[in-house]
Parts: sequence; structure tokens; C-alpha cells
Amino acid sequence: MHPKLFFILFLIMLTSICDTINQLFLKSAINSIEVPSFSLKKIFRFIIRLIFVPRIWLGFCFTVISLFIWLFVLSKADLNFAFSADSMHYIFIALASRFILKERLNSKRWLGTFFIISGIILVSLS
Amino acid sequence: MKKKLTFIILLFLIFSDFLETFVNFCFKKSAQNADTLEISSFSGFIIFIKAVFLSPYLWVALLTVFLIFIIWSTILSKIDLSVAVPIASFSYILVPIASIIFLHEKIGLLRWAGIFFILMGVIFVSLSTKEEGAE
Repeated sequence: MHPKLFFILFLIMLTSICDTINQLFLKSAINSIEVPSFSLKKIFRFIIRLIFVPRIWLGFCFTVISLFIWLFVLSKADLNFAFSADSMHYIFIALASRFILKERLNSKRWLGTFFIISGIILVSLS
Repeated sequence: MKKKLTFIILLFLIFSDFLETFVNFCFKKSAQNADTLEISSFSGFIIFIKAVFLSPYLWVALLTVFLIFIIWSTILSKIDLSVAVPIASFSYILVPIASIIFLHEKIGLLRWAGIFFILMGVIFVSLSTKEEGAE
């Protein structure tokens, strides 16, 4: 494999990790306040309260970093390759859910994660 | 309990798939604006980001991201994530197709195989959410 490909894959990994961190902040911020029932007014109030949770903004910082790296990746790599490889965030989210949030993952989810890894390897080889 | 997948929700999901594809197309277009820049330092990176943010494509993309966020928030209040995600992963096929048509990228057989594996993986990962809820 080309060294440049490794660099691009590494950057895609960074954006995926930033996305995962953002998801973790989002999840913990949402968990910290009461989840509304589904009326438009309550959802609106829910979003207003969410905006005042500091963790949301920490997550947002990571989204911005992720966007910047992503734009750089797209300037160097084919869109179809980058988009496919970006699916590795499913892997990081699975790992983070397991080891940070201590959620239990069943065999189907590990199998799915394995499929995604195989897919990314195939996409990178071509 | 959440409601079943209705035709209108399905339409919204497919619509958001197309929007997602459009977003990535726009991101790619805005990045192409600056793909001749070599980035070796942090100030080079700032110049790159400036060039990208001057592209109207980027702003169209960011607005569309916001629109997708609204559509998804609405969809997820109606149906389960385990139903929504497999349908949304349709974009893993749409993006390569758009790349071929609009960006003239070439996709070999091996890459299609990889894309297929990723699609399978995403569907498996999201289907397992359902079981956890039932347990």
C-alpha cells in the first residue's frame, strides 16, 4: 500500500474519533436532562435546555475539528473512497459504547463491526 | 412504543439519503477548490480552510446538514433507530454512484465488494439495537 493512503486513512480515523467523541458528549448531555414526550412544544423546550449544557459545546468543538480534517481529506482523496472509509466511526462507537459507556454489545453487533472492517480493508486495497 | 414505518416516513428517509449524498458532493466540490494547496504547516492549514470556506458549495452543504438534522430528529421521534439506520445506509451506495456520475471517479469491482461489506455491517450493527430493546 502507498504511504499516502495510510496518511489519508489516519486522517479519516481522526475525523471518526472526533465524531465518536461528539456522540459521547451528545449522549451524556441528553442523558443529563429529562427526555421529552413527543409534542412539538416540549421538543422545542428540550432543545433550548440542551443548548445550555456545556458538554454540547465541547462536542460541537470536536464536530468543527472533524469537519476541517474531513474537508482536507476530500481535497486529497476520491469521495467514494473517503465516504466508505468514514464508516469506521461505527467501529469506534461500538468500542466506546462498550468500554466507556459500559453498554453491552451482542454478537450481531460485533459481526456487523467485523463486516465494516472487512469492507474498509477491501475498499482501501482497490 | 413507536409507530410503524409509514410511507411518508420512508419517503423522508430516502429524501435525507439524497440530501446526505448532496452534502458530501458539495463538501468534495468545496475541497476541490483548494486541492492544489500543499499543506506542510499550521498556517498552510489555515489558508486551506479559508479557501474552502470561500466556496459557496461549503455553505450550501452546511445548510443542508442542518436540514438533515431537523428531518432526522423528526424521523427518530416517530420510528426506532434500528429501522431508520439500515434505510439511511442506502447513502453508502448513493455516494459512489454520485461520485461516478458527477465527479467522474472510477470504482473497481473490489471497491464495490468493500462497499457491499460495509453496507452489510451497518445493517447488522443497527439491527442489533432492536434486540437489546426487546431483552
